[in-house]
Amino acid sequence: MAPVELPVEKWTGKIKEVKLGGNGRKSMVIGGETTLPFLKFEGVLPNKPVIAVEVQDAPPKDWPQALVSAYGDALKDPGEWAKKALSFGAEIIYLRLKSAHPEEGNTGAAEAKKAVAKVLEAVDVPVIVIGPEVPEKDNEVLVAASEVGKGQRLALGNCVEKNHRTIAATCIADGHVAIAKTPIEINLAKQLNILLCDVGLAADSIIMDPTTGSLGYGLEYTYSVMERLRIAGLMGDGMPSMPMLCDVGEESWRQKESRVTTGVPETWGDPAERAINWEIITAISLLNSGANIITLRHPKTIEFLKNSIAQLTQAG
Amino acid sequence: MSQQVNTFEVKFLPSGKRVAVPEDSLLLEAANEAGISLDTPCGGQGRCGRCRVKVDSGKVSQQESHRLTKQQIAEGWVLACSTRVVDDVVILEPTKKEREQVVVETADTLTETPLTCGFTFAPSLQRIHLDVPPPSLEDAANDVDRVKRALASQHGIEHARLELPVIQKLAAALRQKNWEVTVTIFDDKSGGPAEVINIYPGKKKGPVLGLAVDIGTTNVVIDLVDLATGRILDRASERNKQIIRGEDVISRIYYSEKGKGLLELQNLVIETINLLINDLAKKHKFSPDEVEDMVVAGNTIMLHFFLGLRAKSLREEPYVPTLIDFPLLKAGQLGVKINRNAYMYCIPAVAAYVGGDIVAGVLSSCLYQSEKLTLFLDIGTNGEIVLGNADWLVSCACSAGPAFEGAGVQDGMRATEGAIEQVRINSNTLEPEVSIIGSGKPLGVCGSGMIAALSEMFLTGVVNKSGKFNVDFVQGIMKKNSRVRLGDHRYEYVLVTAKESGTGKDIVLTEVDIDNLIRVKGSIYSGMAVLARTVGVDLNDVEEVLIGGAFGKHVSAEQAIIIGLLPDLPWNKFRYLGNTSASGSYSALISRAARDTSREIGRKITYLELIADTSYMNELTGAIFLPHTDIARFPSVKQILEKTGRQ
Repeated sequence: MAPVELPVEKWTGKIKEVKLGGNGRKSMVIGGETTLPFLKFEGVLPNKPVIAVEVQDAPPKDWPQALVSAYGDALKDPGEWAKKALSFGAEIIYLRLKSAHPEEGNTGAAEAKKAVAKVLEAVDVPVIVIGPEVPEKDNEVLVAASEVGKGQRLALGNCVEKNHRTIAATCIADGHVAIAKTPIEINLAKQLNILLCDVGLAADSIIMDPTTGSLGYGLEYTYSVMERLRIAGLMGDGMPSMPMLCDVGEESWRQKESRVTTGVPETWGDPAERAINWEIITAISLLNSGANIITLRHPKTIEFLKNSIAQLTQAG
Repeated sequence: MSQQVNTFEVKFLPSGKRVAVPEDSLLLEAANEAGISLDTPCGGQGRCGRCRVKVDSGKVSQQESHRLTKQQIAEGWVLACSTRVVDDVVILEPTKKEREQVVVETADTLTETPLTCGFTFAPSLQRIHLDVPPPSLEDAANDVDRVKRALASQHGIEHARLELPVIQKLAAALRQKNWEVTVTIFDDKSGGPAEVINIYPGKKKGPVLGLAVDIGTTNVVIDLVDLATGRILDRASERNKQIIRGEDVISRIYYSEKGKGLLELQNLVIETINLLINDLAKKHKFSPDEVEDMVVAGNTIMLHFFLGLRAKSLREEPYVPTLIDFPLLKAGQLGVKINRNAYMYCIPAVAAYVGGDIVAGVLSSCLYQSEKLTLFLDIGTNGEIVLGNADWLVSCACSAGPAFEGAGVQDGMRATEGAIEQVRINSNTLEPEVSIIGSGKPLGVCGSGMIAALSEMFLTGVVNKSGKFNVDFVQGIMKKNSRVRLGDHRYEYVLVTAKESGTGKDIVLTEVDIDNLIRVKGSIYSGMAVLARTVGVDLNDVEEVLIGGAFGKHVSAEQAIIIGLLPDLPWNKFRYLGNTSASGSYSALISRAARDTSREIGRKITYLELIADTSYMNELTGAIFLPHTDIARFPSVKQILEKTGRQ
């Protein structure tokens, strides 16, 4: 019998390669693929997806016990926390400057600088710095973070339409990458990339965060939008061809299913296990829709995802 | 070692001024040096074509420009801002007339062009002079039968009908001038017998009058027509009085659902029509009773109100009208103040949001006869779109909102006297130059002015691709005299200062206005795109675009393309038709064939419900950007942006 020839899709486009780190810090490149995730028989996938682990600038008030016990005292100091994350397998540290939020302490540039410096000092992997997601406040703390990490090619976010000029300007000045976040819609994602390029940020200094919906909370929608963004990029449209980041940790752990311990049917099972599974399923799904960076929280998820990525990249 | 630079002489005629300039100088620089001022409202970017001069002798190095036609280039016209000196040259300065001509030239301006679709002039109404044989003891047939007999024997009109209002007049009219009468016969050849709708004693003089009415959501327009000749004697227009009960159709539908709201709305539109008839009657010295035929075109909702029909179901899914093919009505039934026995024909609609006004537009634009793939747009409070040709027609409606009609925009106004209809912004100074309708001072901005302003602000970098002001950029250039400032509604650009305006206040375009405009243009463009894709054609394959509606007359196809409102097609494919609803109504008034055709068109147009189309939202968000998220759809704009270094 004649062998069956598998259909192979020929894409004309390529996902942009974005470099993080460098200048004394370990560096890595993400993106660069010429086909959909893990389809090695169809194209080139030069850089595997990476795991970023979340660290916050202050001990989290709202984390469930499963997370708190995994990190223990390290949560008290961002530097220690980053080291712990590294020991769990983090390839990138995703530092969230949560205390800068007006309702979480409203700390300013000085505190931001301190937290960023601690993390940069503690670990040598690439670092992503995320503001409190209040555009004016983001401007303040991210510009400060930018100065501290000058030349070390951090990624700064979130860069949204409202504050894109400021974030782009500081990225250009200090040689960083912007995390361009848009409300889960393909055109809006592309539009923000165009605006960023128009103000002079190089196309290879942008990572898209198309907004993550976790399992049960819009996961399918996120999957579909990411898949369409990726296909548009592979079809040769330069503007949605940036690598993508999914904030799985935050989105997965804030859902009811990851938090409740009592008052739910027995079939829901062990709370900690349920929460970890929630994070794993969300992460694995989005990995398959084209995520280049996945942020995670629980060490077990990190371990699971590392294995999965290794298997998926070896297969096919 | 410095290189030797050649110098050439540039001589200007008729002034005779001469200057010597280094090789590769711009003609504009030479002119400046010679003290000759050429207009460069675009800042010398080759965008506006106003610095046109003619080369009399000598060679120049000229850059291609879409501002010059092949013929003009052959005649020696060049743009001084993008033409370089490479030889001794003699330049003819433009005459005052030539300069003005450039300003009003229609290369990129859509001018109103009347169309005829080959309808023969054959109104449904005719006036006939009758000598009715007087009765005698031998022939004592009744009055009605005598008139019918005379019509049959003298004019071949068999079985004519008469209704009570005429019958009541009959006895007196016949006997007043010794059995000599003039009758008005209505026969639209739709199958029924002819009807005597009016009778006058003796020989009736004066024109046979009919009205072509366009009931717009915002304006009611009436053309007074002489049905003996087909000539339009006058046009009158007035705000639809329903406006006090809501600016758009949806809020009026809500109003109609409360208490006697529907009756009030019906009365308001009939009042508006009667008022206009009264004005025309006074001006042209006729009695409204002498108006004996009328055709009405309007959107489906306006027609529902006109006929006193419940409209609630038109705003609720699945948007079902009471009817779309309206019965022939008598003026007396609705209280329209023309002859109460006169017929009123309403042009049929297609669906809840594609009405008789659009059918009238397709009729008057001859789209239904066209061999070319044609796009017809009527941009008013709603944007209606028809795509097709002689073989097929599809349509959709997008809720554009009234921005282009001047509503919902801070300094917006309709395209009337005092409205800014064109704007140029100098790309070096960012200073605007505006032109207005009429001769007074500017009072506000109309639709074409908004399109122009947005297009210019975008090209000069005053706003970015999402329509937000590049505040730092503008302030860097304009310093303290910045035209961009923080106003009550976020940032705004001052088009006209209080000192120069006719309102005593600054005329501005705010960021909120711009958001609104971008949404409106996005909604219209995405409607077109979805419609085209549904029938499997590429928008850029459209061979002709016909535009009716509320823009100013001088809406520029170029600027509308730049903001992504119209598809990126060569400018000569666009034609501006003005009020196509009124002209379709006129066609149906003077031609029975046109009436029949309007019914056919109504049946032929397939309606596409955008809300039911899953791809519409994606199209829409893509179109809410300047010119579009997918720049590949606007290759000419891409080219301009690359040229101006803004890409």
